Amino acid sequence: MPEEYLVAQDLHKSFNEHKAVNGVSFVIYRGEIFGLLGPNGAGKTTTIRILSTVLEADRGDATIGGHSVRRDAEQVRGLIGVCPQELALYTDLSAMDNLVFFGRMAGMSGQEARAQAIARLELMGLSERAKGKVDKFSGGMKRRVNLAVSLMGHPELLFLDEPTVGVDPQSRNNIYETIRGLREQGMTILYTTHYMEEADRLCDRVAIMDGGQIIATGTPRELRSQIGDPNSVTLEDVFLKLTGRSLRD
Amino acid sequence: MFKSLLVGIHEVRIYLQDRGELAFSLLLPVVTFALMYGAFGGQTMFHGTAHVVNLDSGGTYSSRLLEQMGELDSLDVELLPRDEADRKLERSDLLMVLYIPADFSEKLAAGEQTNLLFKQRGNGGREGQIVASLVRGLAERINQEFAVLQQSNAALAGRGIPPERIEVTTRRFLEREQEHPLVEVAEETVGSNPNPVEQFLPGIITMFVLFAISLGAQSIVQERRLGTLERLMTTRLSVGQLFLGKFQAGILRGFLQTLVLLVLSYMVFQLFTPVSFLESLAIAFVFAAAASSLGLVIGSVARTEDQAVWIAVFMTMSMVMVSGTFFPVSEGTVLETISRVSVNTYANTALKTVISRGGSLADVWMELVVLVGVALVGLAVSRLLFRVMPGGR
Repeated sequence: MPEEYLVAQDLHKSFNEHKAVNGVSFVIYRGEIFGLLGPNGAGKTTTIRILSTVLEADRGDATIGGHSVRRDAEQVRGLIGVCPQELALYTDLSAMDNLVFFGRMAGMSGQEARAQAIARLELMGLSERAKGKVDKFSGGMKRRVNLAVSLMGHPELLFLDEPTVGVDPQSRNNIYETIRGLREQGMTILYTTHYMEEADRLCDRVAIMDGGQIIATGTPRELRSQIGDPNSVTLEDVFLKLTGRSLRD
Repeated sequence: MFKSLLVGIHEVRIYLQDRGELAFSLLLPVVTFALMYGAFGGQTMFHGTAHVVNLDSGGTYSSRLLEQMGELDSLDVELLPRDEADRKLERSDLLMVLYIPADFSEKLAAGEQTNLLFKQRGNGGREGQIVASLVRGLAERINQEFAVLQQSNAALAGRGIPPERIEVTTRRFLEREQEHPLVEVAEETVGSNPNPVEQFLPGIITMFVLFAISLGAQSIVQERRLGTLERLMTTRLSVGQLFLGKFQAGILRGFLQTLVLLVLSYMVFQLFTPVSFLESLAIAFVFAAAASSLGLVIGSVARTEDQAVWIAVFMTMSMVMVSGTFFPVSEGTVLETISRVSVNTYANTALKTVISRGGSLADVWMELVVLVGVALVGLAVSRLLFRVMPGGR
């Protein structure tokens, strides 16, 4: 029986009258890659913000590694790494400085942070540009630095919010390989993406969100089989069938 | 505490990386200092120019008036054609012009009343008012001369004394009187001129420290825009530590600028003793803390960098205007009451006491307590108002 690592129970969050998250519940098992899919405005990012302790849910709670995100935010922060959808880097500083700083903020010593930063930059294929200003990097390189920063401090659970948006195939491939490598090391990952093929290839299980609610959960194959032959139907077909074809923004 | 220090160092590193901002913030005090030196390094005695339209050109009495004006050490006389003077007044190139009417000499010779006319914009400006006073003094002297001559002529009429002789003799008596007047005005020097640098330096220092408000306000909003604020809030860094770090960085940045200004003043104007120099640095440090925390309050409520900058500019300018930074605030006035809510007032008073009046930190303890109080309350309020994002922690 796999260990439940993240348990979200009946999460609600409204902004003024708009219900961004409306009763979201799901479980992520230790060591799995869990995909959270949904159209724009479905509530994915708000859910991640609640789980990463940035936002407080109006109702409901979630536990990460047994700690409540509502009551034990400090402990939860010690377990997670967050790679936000938008680049969140100090562009005037070098890649190395960014990683070391966030490593220190994650509680590492200076020496430990530097050693891990070197390792993470190597992992992301950025060793040669370690001392280059992030401002001068290409979009793909910035995305890889963004991901590398989220790995600082040995997180057990990684939130990846659309980490491959706007990157070239080479950088995207590097990110996929990194994510697979992290899973092999036992890291638990919550992954959001708009690319269904990406989710199909990477994720052990996925949840599809729409209108602030989870409307389907299962392995990619299970979801595909809900609407036809799982070998000929794609996850995108499932997604469009469940969420409709109307434009969302 | 240690993490907040790391945040502070990180902030300063970013500040040092931006060479444009660094050059601007450190060169600005140097430029200000150079301007101050240029403005106050020279003579401080009054010397003005009387702009005159003489419509009585060649007239005996107008020539004598101009001659007497030219004899004054503190006055230069510039004659202008009427059209040019009118045009310059119209464009505010000149604020005051003296017009000598065409019949000035003729009327005086006939013993009739005549007028000198000052045309001025507004109150004529400070220089114009002084020039007008000097000219009024000369006109008064001419009046007296005529009055005495008329009385002499009247008293000696019918005694067979030629009028020319009466005039020459009377003038000789008047000149002797002017050389040895009955009422003489004496000057006694009780100290050197007030040093304008001493008077203005506290205001300039406080103004530079106030830049910390703008920088502090922007730093929070910039982090929010970059997305790093949200990211930091998912690490083990607490909001309190974040604010304490930014507070420390704000102090350091404000203090650095002041340091440049104070060191230059120390070296060039020699305004300080070593002790008063250190005391001024201490006051600037405490004021930088107050300004830094006010910046964080603005950063906590502002949503955009523009908002942060404009709120900070408005606050800074208001404080400079009401606090007597560059002009004295009279005691017992409404402005004095308003100035009490400006932290700048306390810093200004403290620095003036130490720099201009030879006081020490012991004399400004109350001002220092107010500044420390503002720093602490500002820090607490900014923390209370802060949200990572709407609906956030």
